Amino acid sequence: MPREIITIQAGQCGNSIGSQFWQQLCLEHGISQDGNLEDYTIEGGDRKDVFFYQSDDTRYIPRAILLDLEPRVIHGIQNGPYKNIYNPENFFVGSQGSGAANNWAAGYAAGDTVQEEVFDMIDREADGSDSLEGFMILHSIAGGTGSGLGSYILERMNDRFPKKLIQTYSVFPDTQGGDVVVNPYNSLLAMRRLTQNADSVVVLDNGALSRIAADRLHVQEPSFQQTNQLVSTVMSASTTTLRYPGYMHNDLVGIVASLIPTPRCHFLMTSYTPFTSDNVEQAKTVRKTTVLDVMRRLLQPKNRMVSTTPSKTSCYISILNIIQGEADPTEVHKSLLRIRERQLATFIHWGPASIQVALTKKSPYLQNTHRVSGLMLANHTSVATLFKRIVVQYDKMRKRNAYLEGYKKEAPFHDGLGEFDEARAVVTDLIGEYEEAETESYLDPDKGKDKAEAN
Amino acid sequence: MSTSTNARNAADNSRRPSATSGAKSRVPSSRLAAKERPLSSGEVIPEDSASNPPHRRNASGTSKVNGGGGRFSERQTARVHLATRDNLQVRTRSPVKVPVKDEADERISSDLPSKQDSRAAERSAPASRKEKLILPPWNPQASLIPHTTAPLASRISIPTLSSLLPESLEPEPSKDLTANKQESVILGDLLFVFMGYEGQYIRYAEKYDPSQEKDRLIGPDFRILPGLDPSLRDLTTSVLKMATHYKAMEAFVEVQSREEFGAINHALCASISRLLKDYLVLIVQLEHQLLTNSSFTLHLLHLHTLPTSHMMFQLYTLGQEILKKNALLEDDLDDSVDGFDDVDNILEQLREGGDLAPGSMSKKVCKGGNVLRLLTERLAFMSGDPAARTLLRTLLRDASRPYMAMLNEWLHHGGIKDPHGEFLIKEQQSIKREKLEEDYTDEYWEKRYTIRDNDVPPQLEGVKDKVLLAGKYLNVVRECGGVDVSKEVKDVPTSFDDPQFLDNVNGAYAHANSSLLKLLVTTHALGARLRSMKHYFFLDRSDFFTYFLDLSASELKKPWRLVNVGKLQSLLDLVLRQPGTVAAQDPYKEDIKVQMKNVGLTQLVMRVVNVRGFDQMPAPDTEDKYRTPATKPTTEEEDKMTGFEALEFKFSVPFPLSLVISSKTVFRYQILFRYLLSMQHLEGLLVNSWEDHNKVLSWTHKSGDPKLEMWKRRAWTLRARMLVFVQQTRYYCTSEVIEPNWQALMARVNGDNQDKNGRPGSQKVSRTVDELMEDHVDFLDTCLKECMLMNSKLLKIHSKLTSACQMFATYTSTLSRTLFTCTPLLAGTAPHLSHLTSTSHRHKTAPQIPEEIKTYDAKKLDNLTDMLGKYEYNFNHHLRLLLDALDYYAATETVALSRLCAVLGSATEGGGDRKEL
Repeated sequence: MPREIITIQAGQCGNSIGSQFWQQLCLEHGISQDGNLEDYTIEGGDRKDVFFYQSDDTRYIPRAILLDLEPRVIHGIQNGPYKNIYNPENFFVGSQGSGAANNWAAGYAAGDTVQEEVFDMIDREADGSDSLEGFMILHSIAGGTGSGLGSYILERMNDRFPKKLIQTYSVFPDTQGGDVVVNPYNSLLAMRRLTQNADSVVVLDNGALSRIAADRLHVQEPSFQQTNQLVSTVMSASTTTLRYPGYMHNDLVGIVASLIPTPRCHFLMTSYTPFTSDNVEQAKTVRKTTVLDVMRRLLQPKNRMVSTTPSKTSCYISILNIIQGEADPTEVHKSLLRIRERQLATFIHWGPASIQVALTKKSPYLQNTHRVSGLMLANHTSVATLFKRIVVQYDKMRKRNAYLEGYKKEAPFHDGLGEFDEARAVVTDLIGEYEEAETESYLDPDKGKDKAEAN
Repeated sequence: MSTSTNARNAADNSRRPSATSGAKSRVPSSRLAAKERPLSSGEVIPEDSASNPPHRRNASGTSKVNGGGGRFSERQTARVHLATRDNLQVRTRSPVKVPVKDEADERISSDLPSKQDSRAAERSAPASRKEKLILPPWNPQASLIPHTTAPLASRISIPTLSSLLPESLEPEPSKDLTANKQESVILGDLLFVFMGYEGQYIRYAEKYDPSQEKDRLIGPDFRILPGLDPSLRDLTTSVLKMATHYKAMEAFVEVQSREEFGAINHALCASISRLLKDYLVLIVQLEHQLLTNSSFTLHLLHLHTLPTSHMMFQLYTLGQEILKKNALLEDDLDDSVDGFDDVDNILEQLREGGDLAPGSMSKKVCKGGNVLRLLTERLAFMSGDPAARTLLRTLLRDASRPYMAMLNEWLHHGGIKDPHGEFLIKEQQSIKREKLEEDYTDEYWEKRYTIRDNDVPPQLEGVKDKVLLAGKYLNVVRECGGVDVSKEVKDVPTSFDDPQFLDNVNGAYAHANSSLLKLLVTTHALGARLRSMKHYFFLDRSDFFTYFLDLSASELKKPWRLVNVGKLQSLLDLVLRQPGTVAAQDPYKEDIKVQMKNVGLTQLVMRVVNVRGFDQMPAPDTEDKYRTPATKPTTEEEDKMTGFEALEFKFSVPFPLSLVISSKTVFRYQILFRYLLSMQHLEGLLVNSWEDHNKVLSWTHKSGDPKLEMWKRRAWTLRARMLVFVQQTRYYCTSEVIEPNWQALMARVNGDNQDKNGRPGSQKVSRTVDELMEDHVDFLDTCLKECMLMNSKLLKIHSKLTSACQMFATYTSTLSRTLFTCTPLLAGTAPHLSHLTSTSHRHKTAPQIPEEIKTYDAKKLDNLTDMLGKYEYNFNHHLRLLLDALDYYAATETVALSRLCAVLGSATEGGGDRKEL
């Protein structure tokens, strides 16, 4: 069927998010735990085939490939309530079962050995779709499998599917340290692939996720389950226009193209509001949800799912608001005018400064206490500060040559640590690009100077 | 049938009056019976008349049975005779002075049918009036004349005039008579005269010529032979008017009951002839008085006839008025210029292949509603005269009966039984429903039934539109067989003065309206139809369409003449049947067809906007007509038009719904569709070029050359701005224009349901089908207007902008290779990396990059910069123009445009500033 999207979930984090995501989709489309349609579903109105295909016995099966080098999470899924919806052929668990031990290099090296099996799965799924639109890769960049194996797959995908869109949902490590000590190494190495090989990266920051969970849900120590629910909500919201087609934004590439004017600046931030018990258990109720209210909340930094430290000059490159529910276009229009008047969003100086809006339906099967909810996909220059932090932490560790032994053992570093330097160069280049984008001279080097002289 | 039977019949008829001649009242009824006879056995008599026709009646009050003999057989009011001899000879006057009652029986036995061609003689008579002296012996004859279309007309030829009477038969001059004798003679004469015949002493005025229809219609003047006592003469003169009126009315009935005058006139004539019958009863009574009452005087007769005389006068004036309107009398001849009103009629008749009715072209015919109008006006005019009012009211009631029958048939069954074209609704038979199926134009609805505006009775003037709509609706309902309309209609008023008259119309209208609405909305699921129109033309779930475009891209890229429509159709069918699309559940997906339009959208809309304005949106065929002159200058552009630009959907709608979803509206749908399609296609192109920019190494590779990098950034930004422009415009058109307007329309279509849900009057709903149709067209027009499709200036700028975007999109896609040569590092390495520029991996192994682009060429970059500058300038310039124009029109015409202006304004900010510096 048209415009299918194949989801590849790699590593612990990716699979946890993924299983939550599929659960959410099943609820939204009225698909039961064994893949059959629930009795209460009505035909029409939604496109299940973007993410699912129908087996011979008409069960809906996710277009999902589950990869991990260690079996824990995947076994969890295989024993979980939704175990039956997945295609059993699409599970891949590393043969050693030891995992990548939070080592990017181990994950990447494992890629070489498992690639044949993995790409068999991917090819099979790709062949099974009529006009494949692209891939969604879910992973974290801090660990070993998601980061390393994910990077490997990203690189190979470009060769194998040069025309297909690759979007990743990448969970960035919590900046306040975290459980993985070597995450700056892993992150930096994965960042290079995200910069060079992905078309669009939705940045999710564990720190911000916990913060939002704590803030919105009043939980001191949010569980992974809860943060994953946040992520799956964002993912399902960002794909509503594909699953509930409307006039516009019916394909992923259209959405992404409007958000990413220049190829390298393709790291997107998200905000979602309101989080309620509908999406996440124990969420605080937000009483009033007007369109303006939703759109204003979306612009608030505290609702962003990325922790950044925006400077004075940081600004939006582009914004797409996906408004779900009964939104009146005139209300939307008014809200846009208000936001503009109050200058709630500052935009780059050199490009179109617009908040695009996509209006979509909500799933009819989910009880929703809110009239309107919204997701913002934004391209904001402050995302560079997140990268900067990674580079700074990397530099600190690199200076001390800490924890390098594990990497040196693996294949990519047999010829030395050049890989690190290359990755660092790519990332700093990217940071530079974002910084330049904040200036007026992005398109015309003389422009800024003219102004300076004039002043 | 045998002659004898006829004779018996005839004898029966003739016996009745004579047998009962003592009971006077029966005589006129026999006359009537005789008149009605042609209706009952009319087909028999003429056949027999060739051989031996029974002459049931002659035109004179008396008959001479023996040819030319001086025998005065009778003096009777009965005028039905059978001639027993070879020749039936009719004397127009009886010289008998004393009535001989007994002779009635004898007459019957002696009367024998005969047939002589008396008409020839009669015809020559007027011409030879002055040469009476040389005439052959006095031998007046009367005969049956063939049937005319007027069933009430007398079929007896016009009797010979007394002015042709030979000298020998002239009565004794009245001056020789005594006063008493004079009075009795005159009384006798008057009875004849009252029935319209000449008496011995009272004769038609010289100038009266009964062979002239006009003379007859005006009625004869009578002259009294000189010598009468002056007092008698004056009294006689005063009662003679009545006779004139009677004669005229008789002629009126004769003429107006002809077929071409229509049912209303027929009914009027029947009513009048009933009154004339009463009049004759009076004459019989007078005769009785005369015969039995020796003290009966002329004075008494005058007194007895006064009220009747008044009535006859009223009838007469009414008759004259109608005749004048009919242009049967001279007065109104000039008005016949109005004949042009009939052009439609004539054409219609020609089309039907029928003959032109002889009267319909040359003469204005006052019939149907006009007669009723005339009656009503007269009634109002005469309202001070109780007698006249009663009379006219009776006439009006009688005359309106057939009209009411038609009205009820129309109101309750939706049918028209109107052979004479009298009804206020005109039906164009040539516009058939069957034709509608193949080329569903609006003709059916708009032209099949029309109101004859100058033919509406005043009672219906106020409700004529309702009447029209009621029948029209019912008609549709009946044609679709949705509702049983064959059942008998009861309790309906049969005349205009019925108090329920208006209730009837209103009730029928309400019923018809609700049945048709129900038929459309419920039985034929108008809502669902409109929804699927929305799916296919507004692409509200455009996923299926995106897929269709993907599949058919290779076909649609070709010039439109080369596009294989059959292939597109099969692709479309394929796409529509995909499970999961909105179309898969759509019951009407079979009705959607692909076609190629030979005119570009902009040209098409421009032409429509310029030539006519959208108010008279041309039906497809007419639009073709006026396109021909303009075809030449645009052919070149049209030839270059790709399938994408020419693609169009056709949606066939079955009959009753095609009234609402007519070709007019489908045309609008198609324009909107093509507009949306062009925007979607453009977005697709820009997204493709985004893909190139993001995927192809020559774009993504970061070279050391800052100039090149700047150039790339500018190209990306321009593309992004174009994309934003297109997407924002699309968003505006769909979410801000089409969707809200659509919701409003649906609320009105389904409004009644809402009301039932307890929200009464929450919104004005479409209460009639016509309102519904209007709403639908309004909805489309609003969409067109707000989508900038109604304004030639906006349209022009917009099409410039879109073509700029399109050119840029195609331009950048060709650049991917050129860029290699501009990138110092990649220049040499291009070949082995070039696989990224194409979809296939094979290039890796067989690089086929031309030699010249392998080398780095710095000059090319300058070229590129120039080109890009031009594109940027072009886009900025036109965007600025568009924004200004939008600003202007938002303030002056369409407020909604201000929203687009605001959105686009912010969307393109950066670029605008750059231009100024």
